[in-house]
Amino acid sequence: MFYTIIEQVVNGIVSGSVYAIVAVGMTMIFGVLRAINFAHGEYYMLGTFGAWFAIEYFDLPYPVAIVIGVVATAVIAVVVGNIVMQRIVGAPAEAGVLATLGVALILQNTVILVFGGSYKFFSGGYIEPVTLFGFTLAEQRILIIIVGLIVFIGLELMVTYSRIGKAMRAVSQNIECCAVVGIDVRHVALWTFILGAGLAALSGVLTAPVNVSVYGGMGELITFKTLPIIIMGGLGNVRGTFVAAMILGIAESLVATYVGLQFRDTVGFATLMLVLMWRPHGLFSAQARF
Amino acid sequence: MTEIVRDQTVTAAEHKVATGPDLRVPFGLGLAALACVAPLFLGNYPLHAIIIALIFLLPAHGLNLLLGYTGLLSLAQAAFFGIGAYASALLAVHFGTPFYVNFLAAGLITGAIALPLGIPALRLRSTSFVMCTLGFVIIGQAIAKNWISLTRGDMGLAAVPRPYFALGPASFTVSGTVGFYYLVLVIAALATLAVYLIVRSPAGRNMIAIRENETLAESVGIPTWHYKLVVFMISAIFAGLGGSLYAHYLTVVSPLTFQMYYSTTMLIIVLGGGAGTISGVIFGSLLFVGLTEALRVAPELRMIAYGFFLLALVFYFPNGFAPLIGRFWSFLERRK
Repeated sequence: MFYTIIEQVVNGIVSGSVYAIVAVGMTMIFGVLRAINFAHGEYYMLGTFGAWFAIEYFDLPYPVAIVIGVVATAVIAVVVGNIVMQRIVGAPAEAGVLATLGVALILQNTVILVFGGSYKFFSGGYIEPVTLFGFTLAEQRILIIIVGLIVFIGLELMVTYSRIGKAMRAVSQNIECCAVVGIDVRHVALWTFILGAGLAALSGVLTAPVNVSVYGGMGELITFKTLPIIIMGGLGNVRGTFVAAMILGIAESLVATYVGLQFRDTVGFATLMLVLMWRPHGLFSAQARF
Repeated sequence: MTEIVRDQTVTAAEHKVATGPDLRVPFGLGLAALACVAPLFLGNYPLHAIIIALIFLLPAHGLNLLLGYTGLLSLAQAAFFGIGAYASALLAVHFGTPFYVNFLAAGLITGAIALPLGIPALRLRSTSFVMCTLGFVIIGQAIAKNWISLTRGDMGLAAVPRPYFALGPASFTVSGTVGFYYLVLVIAALATLAVYLIVRSPAGRNMIAIRENETLAESVGIPTWHYKLVVFMISAIFAGLGGSLYAHYLTVVSPLTFQMYYSTTMLIIVLGGGAGTISGVIFGSLLFVGLTEALRVAPELRMIAYGFFLLALVFYFPNGFAPLIGRFWSFLERRK
């Protein structure tokens, strides 16, 4: 009994890390662009497809496939960022929702059109089980937790010390003042977007060996799981997002075990609504920023 | 608070109504007459498309009241559309009640569900409110999938009867496409009239005041909270009625009725036609269905084109396509 709970919590931390890596990008994009990126899950899907393509067609090893998946996604993000996302800066909320929904439809269906809509087998990654403190875990899951931690620490350092990171924080606090003091807001928006898309792709490639199957519609589910996380974490709040992602990951894994697998995908929005009734501005924000 | 820039050309067109006769009334009447005789010269397939457009018009009218007039961006229309569809289908399948009972019950049930959902949701600010309404759709779909004893889960409810009316001993079933077309046309016309009356009433003015500046509206004594709640409920009722029609038209209801797709569709119809105008929404729903039918070649290509259409809408026609109609009217006026 106790062993099962611990095991499920560990599994929850693994999926929490996956969500966290996707969600931080999304929350940072929100902070800068003030737009909910409904296409965010699609970059997760693109990253996975990039890696799958590299392994399936060129027989490349998994670490190289990770790089290819992330770089390919970043290239697409540069295009989308230049054509679409930069124009959203300062636009009304509906514009952001509609434009990113449009991008999601284009990306998802282009991939389905090119590769077909069927499930594909992802053969790569480190799926050998290892035993750690009496628990058996696939190596890939440990890798996911470690990468999640590195991403978290890296982002914290970046937004605290680097120039672009400081600019990102500045833009998310006051966009007009940034323009006044000479920060190129569109440039910051573009880089934040590319970073976020790249992180989503990284998360996708890391999860693929655990999920095994790859398909064109997989991004949508991730978008719907990430949305409650970024709201709960407080929009634009990186630390809050990490905590919210862990809470959701663990809650999902416990619900799947003790309530029923079919309810797992509903946990996010159900939790979100309960949290919002109690704290309308998210778990960690004292008052509404947006 | 979402802001919608009220289109200048539409306001100018309204001004013209006050200053002199214009072509809009005869044109509108002509269009209505055309709608009445459409089955005479249209085949079954175009008629089917128009039926879908008219069914979608109901939730779109609801969303327009909420987004276009009160300024609240909601993605919940799909949830209420689905609730209406299921309510109507369950009544028809289990109790065999006539269509008008199912139809009105669908509206009432949806409204009754929307009220307790609206109370917590409307306390939230813009982005959180959007997410909360999206949550209704996701959770609605999960309930439809998992409450198997009631909804039969993923199998859905098949063999929902075509609308049938019973009055005393006489009964009458609307079975053909043409019959259904007239039924939907009458309901859509009544719904449009209802929206028109709401918008033209003092309540409509108050809604616009809330959209433009909620704090100011509150300070001049408009009970903004009650208004927002009631409009949320009305928009849900419209969606529920549309769902009921959809269930009786397609004769199948499945958890896929609770799909983000329908929320997006309603958003495209309202914003594409021109939020905050009634004619814009009618135009939007016809345009949307025309577009999707024209792109029927391949489902993926269709969705891709749909995506590009959205981007074009956002970046080139931020006020929807209604301003184009407005410009068309001013062009005609100048020609006179």
